[in-house]
Amino acid sequence: MKRPVWILGGLALAGLSSMAFALAVGSVSLSPHGIREVVMGGGDPLHRSLILELRLPRVLAAFATGALLSVAGALMQVLLRNPLADPYILGVSGGAAVGALLTMLAGAGTVLVSGSAFAGALLSTLLVFGLAHGTGSWSPVRLLLTGVVVAAGWGALISFILAVTPSAELPGMLYWLMGDLSHARRPGAAWIVLALVLFLAWPLGRSLNVLARGSLQAAALGVSVRRLEWIVYLMGAVLTATAVTLAGTVGFVGLIVPHMVRLVAGNDQRVVLPASALTGGILLTLADTVARTMIAPQQLPVGVITAMLGVPVFLYLLHRSR
Amino acid sequence: MSITRPPVQARLLRIAAALILWLAAPCVLADAAGIRLTDDTGREVVLAEPARRVVSLAPHITELLFHVGAGDRIVGTVTFSDHPPEAADLPLVGDGGHIDLESVLALRPDLVVAWHTGNPRRQVARIEALGIPVFRNEPRGIDELAESMVQLSMLTGTDARGRVRAGELRARRDALRSAYAGRAPVRLFYQVWDSPLMTINDEHLIGELIRLCGGRNVFGELPALVPRVSLEAVLAADPEVIAGGGSGEDDHSWVESWRRWDSLTAVRNGNLLFIPPSLIQRHTPRVLDGAAMLCAFLDDARARRPGSGP
Repeated sequence: MKRPVWILGGLALAGLSSMAFALAVGSVSLSPHGIREVVMGGGDPLHRSLILELRLPRVLAAFATGALLSVAGALMQVLLRNPLADPYILGVSGGAAVGALLTMLAGAGTVLVSGSAFAGALLSTLLVFGLAHGTGSWSPVRLLLTGVVVAAGWGALISFILAVTPSAELPGMLYWLMGDLSHARRPGAAWIVLALVLFLAWPLGRSLNVLARGSLQAAALGVSVRRLEWIVYLMGAVLTATAVTLAGTVGFVGLIVPHMVRLVAGNDQRVVLPASALTGGILLTLADTVARTMIAPQQLPVGVITAMLGVPVFLYLLHRSR
Repeated sequence: MSITRPPVQARLLRIAAALILWLAAPCVLADAAGIRLTDDTGREVVLAEPARRVVSLAPHITELLFHVGAGDRIVGTVTFSDHPPEAADLPLVGDGGHIDLESVLALRPDLVVAWHTGNPRRQVARIEALGIPVFRNEPRGIDELAESMVQLSMLTGTDARGRVRAGELRARRDALRSAYAGRAPVRLFYQVWDSPLMTINDEHLIGELIRLCGGRNVFGELPALVPRVSLEAVLAADPEVIAGGGSGEDDHSWVESWRRWDSLTAVRNGNLLFIPPSLIQRHTPRVLDGAAMLCAFLDDARARRPGSGP
C-alpha cells in the first residue's frame, strides 16, 4: 500500500498547483504582486473581482466537473464491464441537454437552464432504470442497450430543437453541447455531491474490485450483485447529472481518465476512484485555463481542449505500458 | 407679541422638515444630474453622469456611437467592428457570440451597450451582476434605429448631435419612401444566408427597406423573423428579383449561383442584385445606402419587364 499513497499524495499536490495556476492566468495578466495582495485580502478592486468573482468560481467548477465525470466514468466501466463506457453512455447527458436547450429556446436565465438540465438528467435516469428493469432478467447488456437507445432518442430531440431554433440562440446552445464553463458560478453543490459519493463508495471498494471481474465470480464470493449494481448505477447517474448541470456535456474526460489512472495505478477501485477524481479535476482545470486564454479575448468551449490535451497523454501512457 | 411653542412640538417640526428634505433630496439631484433611460427590453438604466468609458458588444453599436460623436468614449468592442476605420483599432473583448468577461472588466467601463438578440443573454446578465450598467439595444426598424441614436447620445452626453443624426436618418428615409414606395410592386426574394437558405420576413429591418422601395417580399408573411426556407419554396414563389449578400463584402457567389435556375423570372430578366452585407444587414444609418441601391435596382427591374421598355 505504499505506492497508492504516493500516487494520491502527488495527485493532490498537482491538483492544488493546477488550481493555483488557473487562478493566476487569464486573458488579463496580473503581476505576482497583485495576486499576492488579493490573496492576503486586499489589493486593487479590479484584481479582486477578476480573481474572486470570475476566476475562482470557474476554477472550482472546472475541477469539480472533471472529478465528477471521471469518477462517474470509472463506475460505469465497472458496472458495464465495458472499456468504452463513459458517463453519458446511458443517456443522462441527452436528457439534460434536452432540458437545457428547451429552456434556452424559451430565453430563460442561468438558474432555470441548470435546473431543467438536472431535471432532464434525472428523468432520463429513471426512464432507463424503469425500462431496463422491466420484466424478466436484468443484465449489464440489457442496461447498456436500453441506455444507448434512450440516448439516441434524446439525440434526435436535440437535433430537432437545434433545427427549429432562431440562429441568434444557436451559438449558446452549441457551446453548451460542447461543454462550456463560462456560466458556472456556484460549484458548491457539485463539490458536496463529489465528496458524498466518494465517501459512500469507499467501503464498496473491495466489492467493486470483485464485480469488475464479472458478476458470477462476485456472486460466488458473496457479493450482493444486483444491489451493488443499482447503487453504482445511481451513483454514476447523480455524478453525471451534477457535472452536466454545471458545465454542459464536456466529453472525453469521463471516458479516458479512468483508463489513464488504471494504466498507472493498477486496478484497485479504492485507488482508482479518488485518483480518477483528482486526475479528471486537474485535466479539466488545465483545459479550461487553455480554453479561456488561448485565443483570448475570444473563448473556446472547454470540451475542445480536453480532447486535444488528453489524446496525446493517453496514447503515450498506452504505448509505455506495453 | 411672541408666542413660544412647546419645545416638543418644535422639535417634531424640525425632525419632520429634515425628513422631508432628506427624502426629497435624492430625487431632485437625480433629475438634475442623472441620466434615466428605458432600454429596448424595458429595463431602466440610470447613470449618474454621461458615460466616459463605453464597451460596445456589437459592430452596429460601435458604428452608431461613432455616428453620434461618441466614438472617443468607446474603450472596447467586439470582432467585425470595422466601420468607421478608426473602430478597427479599438481593443477587442471577444466576438458577439462569446464575450471575455475578464477583458470587459479590465477596461473598467462605466457603461456596456449590449445587443439583446446578438449577445449571449446570460453573459450580459453576468456583466450587470458585476455592477456595470448595461444598456440593451435592439433596433427593429428605421424609427427604432433613429431612437437608438438619440438614446446612445444621451447616455454619452452628445444629445444634440444624436437628435440631428436621427432627424437626418428619418428625412432620408422619407425621401426614399415618397420617391419609390408607390411605384409598381416588384416581387422580391432576399437571401440572408446560403446554407441553410435563409431569408427575412416583413418585420425585419430589411423587410421595411424592401417596402420603402416598392418591393414585395415573397416570404414576408412567414412567422419567423429570419426564416429558413427550401430551394423549392423559392422556385415555387418565382420572384422577379433576387437580392442578397454574401459571406464577405465582395462575395457575389451566392447571388450568382441562382443563374442555373433559368426557369426563374429573376434569372431570365437578369434581376440578380448583390448588396454588400455591411450596407444592409447591419443596423446602422448605412442601411439607407443599401436601400438606395435596392430602390434603383427595382426601378431597373421594372424597366426590364417585357413590354415596358422604350
